[in-house]
Amino acid sequence: MQSKAARWGKWLLTTAICTSMLNSVGFVQAAGFDGSPPNKDAAAAFATESPIKHVIILIDENRGLDHTFGVYKPKGRGQTISNILSKGIVNEDGSPGRNYGLAAQYAVSPQPTYYVGAPDSAKTPYSLANLMPQPNTNGAPQNPYSSIVNAAGTNYNTGPFTTIPPEPDIQPKYAALLTTGATGLPADSLDTRIPRAGALPNGPFVLKGPNISDDDYTGDMTHRFYQAWQQQDCSIADATKDNPTGCLLDLFPFVMATYSPPNFATLTGNFSEGNEMGFYDAEQEQASLLKELADRFTLSDNYHQAFLGGTGANHFMFGTGDAGFWSDGNGNPVTPPSNIANPNPKAGTINAYIADNNFSACSDPTQPGVAPIVDYLASLPYHPASNCAAGHYYMLDNTNPGYLPNGSLVPAVQGALPPSPVKTIGDALDAKKISWAYFGGSYNDAVILANEAVAANPSNPSLTMAALNDPAHALGVTYCQICNPFQYAASIMGVPSERTAHIQDTSDLIADIQNDTLPAVSIGKPDGLLDGHPQSSKLDLFEAYVENVLATLEKNPRLKATTAVFITWDEAGGYWDSGFVQIFDYFGDGTRLPLLVLSPYSAGGKIDHAYADHVSLLKFIERNWHLPPLTNRSRDNLPNPKATRRNPYVPTNMPALTDLFEAFNFDSRPDLRPYLQ
Amino acid sequence: MWASIRALSPALSFLGILALFGGTAAAEQFSADIVTTNAGDRMAGAAGKLYVRDSLVRFETPDFRNGRFLVNVSADTAFFVMPAQDIYMDAKESSSLTQILVPVDPDDPCQAWQTMAKIAGAAGHGSKWHCRRLGTDNIDGRQVIEYQATSPAGSAITATIDPLLKFPIRFQYQDGTKVELVDIREQPQPAALFQMPAGSRKFDPQQLIERIKRSDVWVEPPK
Repeated sequence: MQSKAARWGKWLLTTAICTSMLNSVGFVQAAGFDGSPPNKDAAAAFATESPIKHVIILIDENRGLDHTFGVYKPKGRGQTISNILSKGIVNEDGSPGRNYGLAAQYAVSPQPTYYVGAPDSAKTPYSLANLMPQPNTNGAPQNPYSSIVNAAGTNYNTGPFTTIPPEPDIQPKYAALLTTGATGLPADSLDTRIPRAGALPNGPFVLKGPNISDDDYTGDMTHRFYQAWQQQDCSIADATKDNPTGCLLDLFPFVMATYSPPNFATLTGNFSEGNEMGFYDAEQEQASLLKELADRFTLSDNYHQAFLGGTGANHFMFGTGDAGFWSDGNGNPVTPPSNIANPNPKAGTINAYIADNNFSACSDPTQPGVAPIVDYLASLPYHPASNCAAGHYYMLDNTNPGYLPNGSLVPAVQGALPPSPVKTIGDALDAKKISWAYFGGSYNDAVILANEAVAANPSNPSLTMAALNDPAHALGVTYCQICNPFQYAASIMGVPSERTAHIQDTSDLIADIQNDTLPAVSIGKPDGLLDGHPQSSKLDLFEAYVENVLATLEKNPRLKATTAVFITWDEAGGYWDSGFVQIFDYFGDGTRLPLLVLSPYSAGGKIDHAYADHVSLLKFIERNWHLPPLTNRSRDNLPNPKATRRNPYVPTNMPALTDLFEAFNFDSRPDLRPYLQ
Repeated sequence: MWASIRALSPALSFLGILALFGGTAAAEQFSADIVTTNAGDRMAGAAGKLYVRDSLVRFETPDFRNGRFLVNVSADTAFFVMPAQDIYMDAKESSSLTQILVPVDPDDPCQAWQTMAKIAGAAGHGSKWHCRRLGTDNIDGRQVIEYQATSPAGSAITATIDPLLKFPIRFQYQDGTKVELVDIREQPQPAALFQMPAGSRKFDPQQLIERIKRSDVWVEPPK
């Protein structure tokens, strides 16, 4: 049998992409053998474990696996998927299936303190007599040009845009998507576009009908740390061989309806209610671009959000393999001045949190909310550590970074996380002089707004005020600061040369692909209009962002030949999912997310079952570019999972986390099929 | 570039005197390149383009590659137009040039600048432009008036006004950044240059902000 390198070499010498492929086995040359222009691709010179010389990681917002690919049938030969269709929970048309009851959701009677595993005796399934909380429009845009004034006098004025914003990160043919999809319904009301809304049975429902599609805005849900723990409903008493963590995933609508109950008289509280159970039907024309990519490349059906809850903590975990904590700005943990969580119920309520705040000192079991989680961790057969260091108040929910987009320090009055000392993958790549960049949508405009905001009011700069004064750069408000894990890092954001070298705009990603200057590691984050987030964006807008990147890469076949594109989501946004969840520490994991792996070595419609989360992307980078784990406490220290053929989803060596190499077949002949037909 | 102007100087001088005493702020018709140089007199990016037709001004600069500014002093409007997107928006303070590169009364440029500051929303709390005449000068044979001026925000500039054009042809910020009109071509400018593209719709940044408040991009301050 020929060696791997010999087989590559035989094929490579006969193809037009031979130069870049030879780079992958250690050769670098100035010009192609076939007379093609010299390869300017500096990242191709880095020694790598695989033929992959570049990764582009595109991160969407707030969609789960069953929500997006729940109704999907793999196209690869012999491939299987674990989703609500394969489990018989729903049928291919989205209607309830023979096993619909597996997805049943429950209400819980009042408990004296916060809990993460509700006592069975306290749980009652929703029924036609006690309806599951029903889907709600929440703050989704009502009508174009509308100015919605609700009963409390709040002016929502949420569009969508009849005037298209100056959005440069999608192709012009898709710009009209920014103007479509209004609900036509009042804010905070029953979403009657959904068939049978108001009488939906206890379980998932399809977001498909005469009045709703994947081009429509839908109501958002709360997606926060302590709520997400409760929603997963984990107890060792419910553990089985196939579900050894005992997470039943059956309190999703209940927690939304009770942690801050909606009050229609005062329009306060949380109105997201039953949106958690909505899903799209990929087999019937919904999420069509994502489905086509899954048909043609690799899709993971066992990839998870790494942190329970929301955007900031999940991106932070992606960048560091760890959680952020409140510090004095010089790396020393201190107690935050406010914003400390207390999820214990208020007296006389079902489950209304006393203080729905962002930080906990989880090494101290006497702190509110901590004991139920650490007790549960201790009960698991593999005894995961909490990974909560003494005296550290961890950032559990969205908190702005301590730097503005231009690198200015955020004044303490704004409550941002002080500059973080937690080591990032950027620091590790820098140490080995391997190129990398974070490409944030609308970042360049955000820098301009930050400059103007600081100049106007250094003691309390406001990017939104700057946007109103500078409409030509207003799109800067759509740049997501909490999505950029490097914007928290003192070692990067606090060093101007590092910041300008590594923190860039989507337009720079496109230019780098066009100019053969793409870094080895690129992270792409769409702006807030295109990130696919429910209520403020749509799935098809994220698809348009993805298509813009892929179409550009398609035009550079030499670069494409050595590039892996990972497409995933930061978290499920509160959407329910049916998949097994492995628990690593105090912070996660959470529900499954889609992960698409596009490369010449991951074509063919494979479904990857190995257990993964965001830190798996770190592990891929570290293995491919020969980097050690970031720190001795980061989650990238975990081994790759071992699993049985009978159940490939549950590692037999928990805690374990894949480095995603199994998503590829590097022994295969590269398949340079187009990303899209 | 000044040769053609010098050839016309006797007639222009007469008109200039009229203008100096006339005090109206409707410029001649001309076009020019806008050159920005930094403190080291090095050109900061490519040149922009300026077109003036009476009270109408259009300019394009490298900082705003996707659009152009249209100012109508008579209508008290200043817009940024993005033709590819079929949109326009209030220019507000997007470019400081909309507040300065406008027809002025050569004896009182601050009057026009103050009007533009109000349009831009940059004259809050009664703050005003202040101008102090420094004297006259001769640039390439052309009589000009020099001013020291301070914006409502407190930024100081030195400005050079061409009384014949009734237009600032050069100004310099305190940090040394200098904006200068060069290759001035006095000739009629087509009205179409100053018109809003058909079908353009107005973009409202407040609407954008309200949408973003519904997303995870937006983080409420701690309670």
